[in-house]
Amino acid sequence: MQCQEINSIACLLSMEDAVFVIHAPLGCTGCISFGNEQYKIGQHHAGRKILKNARYLATNLDEHDIVFGGEEKLKEAVLEAETRYHPGVIFIFASCASGIIADDIDAAAEKLQQEVKAIVVPIHCEGFKSRLMSTGYDAAFNAIAHYILKGYRPEPEDGLINLFAPVSIGIDDQEEIIRLLGVMGLHVNFVPFYSNLEKIKKIPAAVASASICQVFADNFMKWLSEEYQIPHVITGMPLGVRNTDEWLLGIAKLVGKEKEISEYIEREHARVTPQVAEVRSRLEGKRVFICAGTARSFAAAALIEDYGMKLVGMETPSYEEVVSGRVDKLIELYGDNFILDIANMQPFEQSNLVNRLQPDLFIGMAAWAAKQGVPTMHVNEAKRPTMGYDGILYLGRKMVDAIDNPGFNVKLARHKRLPYRDSWYGEDPFKYHKELGGA
Amino acid sequence: MSRILQNPRSSCALGGAVAAVTRIDRAIPIYHSGPGCALQTFSGQIHASGGHSSYVTGVGVPCTNMFQQEVIFGGAQRLRETIEGSLEVMDGDIYFVLTGCTADIIGDDTAGIVEEFVRRGYPIAHIETGGFKGDSYKGYESVVNVLASRLTLEPAKKQPKTVNLLGITPSQELFWAGNIEEISRLLNRIGVAVNSFFSAGQGIETIRSSSEAALNIIFSPWLCREAEQIYREKYGIESWRYSGIPVGTTATTAFLREIGERLQIDERLVAGVVEQEERYVYDYLETVVDNLTRYRFAIVGDTNTVLGLTSFLVNDYSQIPIAAVITDEIRDEDKSGITAVLSNLEYSSAPEVHFEQDQWKIQQILRRQDLRMILGSSFEKETADELDTIFFNVSFPTRDKIILNRTYAGYRGCLTLVEDMYYNF
Repeated sequence: MQCQEINSIACLLSMEDAVFVIHAPLGCTGCISFGNEQYKIGQHHAGRKILKNARYLATNLDEHDIVFGGEEKLKEAVLEAETRYHPGVIFIFASCASGIIADDIDAAAEKLQQEVKAIVVPIHCEGFKSRLMSTGYDAAFNAIAHYILKGYRPEPEDGLINLFAPVSIGIDDQEEIIRLLGVMGLHVNFVPFYSNLEKIKKIPAAVASASICQVFADNFMKWLSEEYQIPHVITGMPLGVRNTDEWLLGIAKLVGKEKEISEYIEREHARVTPQVAEVRSRLEGKRVFICAGTARSFAAAALIEDYGMKLVGMETPSYEEVVSGRVDKLIELYGDNFILDIANMQPFEQSNLVNRLQPDLFIGMAAWAAKQGVPTMHVNEAKRPTMGYDGILYLGRKMVDAIDNPGFNVKLARHKRLPYRDSWYGEDPFKYHKELGGA
Repeated sequence: MSRILQNPRSSCALGGAVAAVTRIDRAIPIYHSGPGCALQTFSGQIHASGGHSSYVTGVGVPCTNMFQQEVIFGGAQRLRETIEGSLEVMDGDIYFVLTGCTADIIGDDTAGIVEEFVRRGYPIAHIETGGFKGDSYKGYESVVNVLASRLTLEPAKKQPKTVNLLGITPSQELFWAGNIEEISRLLNRIGVAVNSFFSAGQGIETIRSSSEAALNIIFSPWLCREAEQIYREKYGIESWRYSGIPVGTTATTAFLREIGERLQIDERLVAGVVEQEERYVYDYLETVVDNLTRYRFAIVGDTNTVLGLTSFLVNDYSQIPIAAVITDEIRDEDKSGITAVLSNLEYSSAPEVHFEQDQWKIQQILRRQDLRMILGSSFEKETADELDTIFFNVSFPTRDKIILNRTYAGYRGCLTLVEDMYYNF
């Protein structure tokens, strides 16, 4: 599983003029190692020569702090953040430990605000407080709404659209999105992705809001609609023909550009359809199992339909209201003859299912299926386009390549096994649905 | 009391512990912790040291996922269920219940519950690793202590030519796997068998029989004090500490001779191995004679890496040491021993020695120097680019490389280090 703290930090980590204070023992900075790497890759792709590390301070809570409270160290960390970097904003992230010992980060932030120039923003992302990983994103956006925007009203800017995206969007995908929205005469304020305080403050100036996927910033966009009357649309990730069409049309409706975008879509279909058909002949009828992040999983499920592939099973980390319509859509596409396991990533269940279903291709996190000899690939990519019409072709070829050459997985499976007993593969994969948790 | 740290260079006790536990063959970790701990520790420890997967990996670790309900009412029942399920589904020789902050703060009786399963005959042990108990080194030590005190059996017989190898911390010392491999290779060559616990497919059998060893070699001036005591008091095994890791011919030859003496190995055998290995190294080193450039260098990393690399670079490869920054948490009384190693190099004057873990402060130290080469973690790349120096990764965290069996240790490893120093672009 993930905890919300992971996502709250991931959501904001690429903000250029922010410093991050993690009020926790050292382990709770673990996933920043991944986010920091992505942040540096992003800077590299943007052509920077010196790649900056994200600036984050851990209060390093220890046994003494657990007993006596860690607020002094929190104060010290915020003051250090201010003197070291003079940032625009200092985010404070709560943790399980700080939450259980009841350190009051709100009161601390309020007091510290008197002493520092940076805006001090406490974020309530204690891991034990939510079973939904995406509430971590909501916690971060909530904090932005209440500590940074709080009624701030800039002049509206013609043609400006807020595009909410986390750091995991690669350079080619960013450029493709800018290009696609350009077709409607829109220019993009990417937030909080590689943004800064100035770009955050520009959010209320936009004419519309959209997100890279349906679980990111959905509640925040709703709030913007209510508070600033900025219309928004919640759609799936633009992976595959169907999803890209839907994503574009959804945004076009907000800004009254349906006609232009329909024409554009038609032209793009004419351009890519012959190429898609060529790839399709190699993929048609292949049976696919998907296990990736919630939004990417649903997007991948629609993508494979473009290529005439068949969904046999899907596992997602969570299930949320915003994706419920997506399930109906999948049933419409594939009938009800597939297994949907919405279970916070339970690899032991997945391995049982993959063993039963023997798919031709596995899309997503390969750690388990690879050892079962199944060809694996991911629809996540830092250096090539996955979104929009060119992304469709790239992903199609990537799937062909995975099926064409499964050598590594086949041989790995001969040498290495998964950590499950043979008897487990004979059991009902959902045997423990109530009893046993997975990490 | 611990200090606040910018861009920490360690995970928590849980992270250090799981990195060690997952390297024991067919060992199954079970977390009694909050929901994010598996991802945080794998990402923050194992993936941050050039490693990725293992037998049980990442979100595949069984976990009690403690939410509000467990925080308020306790997680005992959930822990029992999770252990039951794991024993049924997961195929292992030994199971370790590792606790996170939540379980340790709310005071669940983890030890008592695990003991219920021990009494029922299951191979299972509890290790207290709540994140607030300390850093990754603390986690590693906790694992070693449990192996030594709970899982090791009374010796059936003594093995006069077997050693236990401790102190090289999985996924924290960057080239830990390769370091253990090269050191084991050399010890094997002089007829010494090695219990390395966390590599070479060694599992519960190695742990159980580690009481039969003739000597513990602890690669660290400060780690594993408690384990040292346990082995001495319970099994009569003495420990010999080596400060750093041996790199290059001078250090490695001295190391092998010392072990040879301690284990009373035929001097001619040791001399023969030394001669062959030294020749192997110098047959290569003679080919780089035109490439030798003297770099004024700084090194940032854990004690073992800093001591081992600095000694080779200065004593055998004519590099100029300017600054050495030790980034593991060192108690004051251990500092002088470390400084002494760096002050008694064969050539050159001693580098500035700093004990510092905070990224901003380390950056300030490096910016003050006139440097041509910086060896450190992924964090130092930024400073190296800023100062336009050669840079390569030698310490934790390293996220931008895949590291498998790479090593600078021993005879062969020093050649890899020399290879990595080529830089004309």
